Amino acid sequence: MSKYQHLPRFRVGLALMATVGVTVLAGCGSSSSSHSSSSTTPAASTSSAASSTSAASSSSGTTPAASASATSSCGPKPGVKATGSPINIGTIDTHQPGTDFTDGPNMINAYFACVNANGGINGHPLKLFVELDQTNPAQITADAKQLIQSDHVVAIDGVFDLLECTLDATYWKQLGIYEMDAGISPECWSTPNSAAVNMGPRYSSDGAVQYAINTVKAKKIVFVQSNVPGTGYIAAGPAAIAKASAVPITELTENVPITDANSVALKLVDEAGSDGSVILNFTPPEALVILQAAQKLGLEDRVKSWGCSTPCDTDFLAKALGPKWNKKLFVNAEAVDADDHSGPEIELYKAILAKYGQSVAGGIGSFSQFGFLLAKFLVQALDTVKPPYTIASVNKAIVGIKAYKSEMLCQPWTYGHLALHIPNNADYTVTPDNGKMVTAQGCTAISPADPQIAQYRKVATAAGVNYPPSQ
Amino acid sequence: MLLVGSLFPSWQDFQPFLITGLALGAVYALSGVGMVVLYRATGVLYLAFGAVGAFGALVAWQLTQSHWNIWLAYLVAVVLSAVITLAYGMVFGSALAAREPVVKATATLGLTLILLGAMDLLWTSSGGASRAILLPTDNHGFVLGQINVTTTQVICLAAGVVTTVGTGAFLRFTKLGTTMRAMANDREITATLGVPIRRVEAAAWLGCGVLAGLAGVVLADLVALDATTLTFLVISSLAAALIAQLRSIVITFIAALVIGVIDAAIEASPNQGFSNYHDMAPFVLAAIALLVANRKRVISISRTGI
Repeated sequence: MSKYQHLPRFRVGLALMATVGVTVLAGCGSSSSSHSSSSTTPAASTSSAASSTSAASSSSGTTPAASASATSSCGPKPGVKATGSPINIGTIDTHQPGTDFTDGPNMINAYFACVNANGGINGHPLKLFVELDQTNPAQITADAKQLIQSDHVVAIDGVFDLLECTLDATYWKQLGIYEMDAGISPECWSTPNSAAVNMGPRYSSDGAVQYAINTVKAKKIVFVQSNVPGTGYIAAGPAAIAKASAVPITELTENVPITDANSVALKLVDEAGSDGSVILNFTPPEALVILQAAQKLGLEDRVKSWGCSTPCDTDFLAKALGPKWNKKLFVNAEAVDADDHSGPEIELYKAILAKYGQSVAGGIGSFSQFGFLLAKFLVQALDTVKPPYTIASVNKAIVGIKAYKSEMLCQPWTYGHLALHIPNNADYTVTPDNGKMVTAQGCTAISPADPQIAQYRKVATAAGVNYPPSQ
Repeated sequence: MLLVGSLFPSWQDFQPFLITGLALGAVYALSGVGMVVLYRATGVLYLAFGAVGAFGALVAWQLTQSHWNIWLAYLVAVVLSAVITLAYGMVFGSALAAREPVVKATATLGLTLILLGAMDLLWTSSGGASRAILLPTDNHGFVLGQINVTTTQVICLAAGVVTTVGTGAFLRFTKLGTTMRAMANDREITATLGVPIRRVEAAAWLGCGVLAGLAGVVLADLVALDATTLTFLVISSLAAALIAQLRSIVITFIAALVIGVIDAAIEASPNQGFSNYHDMAPFVLAAIALLVANRKRVISISRTGI
């Protein structure tokens, strides 16, 4: 027998091994944890190729000279550098291929850099310790311990993570730490030691479904999201909202990354029908491929409207989609559209972004706005602390945050000793308008048809901290 | 029958999905043919095919952001993919030529990881960043049934056919193609006959790189301009090549189309639970094909007594 008769089987075996190798690689991604801290400058930039970043950042029209004076209001002593011992703050953030939330901590670092250049906190600079994770539970719990035991942080602020709230809730409770975050997992809103500035996927999807039913008058809702753990929890909100309005809803999931967007778009449109609305709950890249596929196949007008939860609220998406989607796509926005509004706080945000936010890849957008708010609220809380700055003193100030106002949110933000926290429970709706997102609807309270919202309002009202949205 | 009826869409519902499946399958075929030709000529299973194409597509996107002419940008993408592949082949392909095929394949995973890391660094997804490549042909087409068939989809199908037929003709009728086939049978004997194998291998690497660049740009339009997505789309092409046992480009082409269509059919399934398994289609088809091929071989050996 010739030795070459073995070749087919060998080739097949080789290819099979390689396939397994590729699959394992896909699962592993980059598994290492990275650790960085900064007290005076933003984290190193990773966005050299994202040219639109600079465009977005400079869209405020702030000149360097103007920004210098505009940013001086972020600290108590304009132009005086803080030189005391640093106050250590910790955060844990997801950073993996396809899911990169580092704009959040990068914006916090930008805000801290501004504060440190303008007097700091009683002369103490703020130092942010950033732990990046790749959705590895063991890594995330180890990161939490490292922040406390090695980095000696006194507060956890600015967590933008897929799993952190779930994994560390008990640890923070043991230590008496009150975390401030812009999270994803349910425990960010349903536990006593976590409060988020964002609404998260469930309540943001609630808002998008609510807009489709109440404003667009959709007769059917098709709600589709990534096929990942926790989809049942998220879908329960839109289902409750639709049920309360007696509108039928179909809940679908799609594997991500989406490899056949054309088929997905076809399926969604077929399911919704001409009187229905399709509501997407995906990251911007995944939402974009579905919407573009719909456009290429001429499907954008085959349903009454398209909707999306907050992640779609980026100018990246509006630019990529083009004018065909003007007033056809309605995106829930958990914070005000900074491109579309102005005021002292929003000008400060843009000025800090321009002067200190070189590492904020997405520029103006939800991630950096939430980073700004988390940094601002923490600094406001720290200003009330009488030194020394310990876990006890700092977290007492954090949980005591009551009715901090912001131009970016629909209602004052409060922490408080509550069983659960959904302090941001009113939203905006935005729509693409020739490459930019503009406001389609002002502040609107999320319906209490979602039982979680109803429960929060009940406990918040009992504690005297429930605020109706302001227009 | 009842079970099949509940899992798969009716013919009428399936028709629009057939078009999207064929278009995607044709691009898988483009990639699969490139991988098979390279394997036959060099013995290397090029697992960096997707990453190289993704890198080229992202560079093209970057150039279009700097207001380059889009066709020039896409040409740069194809040339860059070809250069990366050729450089890898000349440096590492030659150095590893005497090693086992599994070592050669694993080495290409190294290139995959390097390119993935570079893309993650250069084109971060932070802050909701999302990018897209749109071919001008997306705006043209015709209506079939209730959906638009874009010129891009037609071109994809045509490109798959032309690549398969062209590559087949090249391997059969040209001197270089004949040499590649000879090398696939025995590299050492071919070398002793005075064939400049380095030059032939270089041609194979270059051709594979060109196909990687083309597939990268087209898949960026059809699927998504995302480094991870494009890098691992190679798995579907690999499954098609596997079904062809890394030998026949015609079977690779047919298998890729079948994978694309079955993937779309499962996606269109009225059963949501079943629909979520559409990503498994390439693996399941490849596994079935391998089992059948292996069974035939066992029967053949037992009959001949060898």
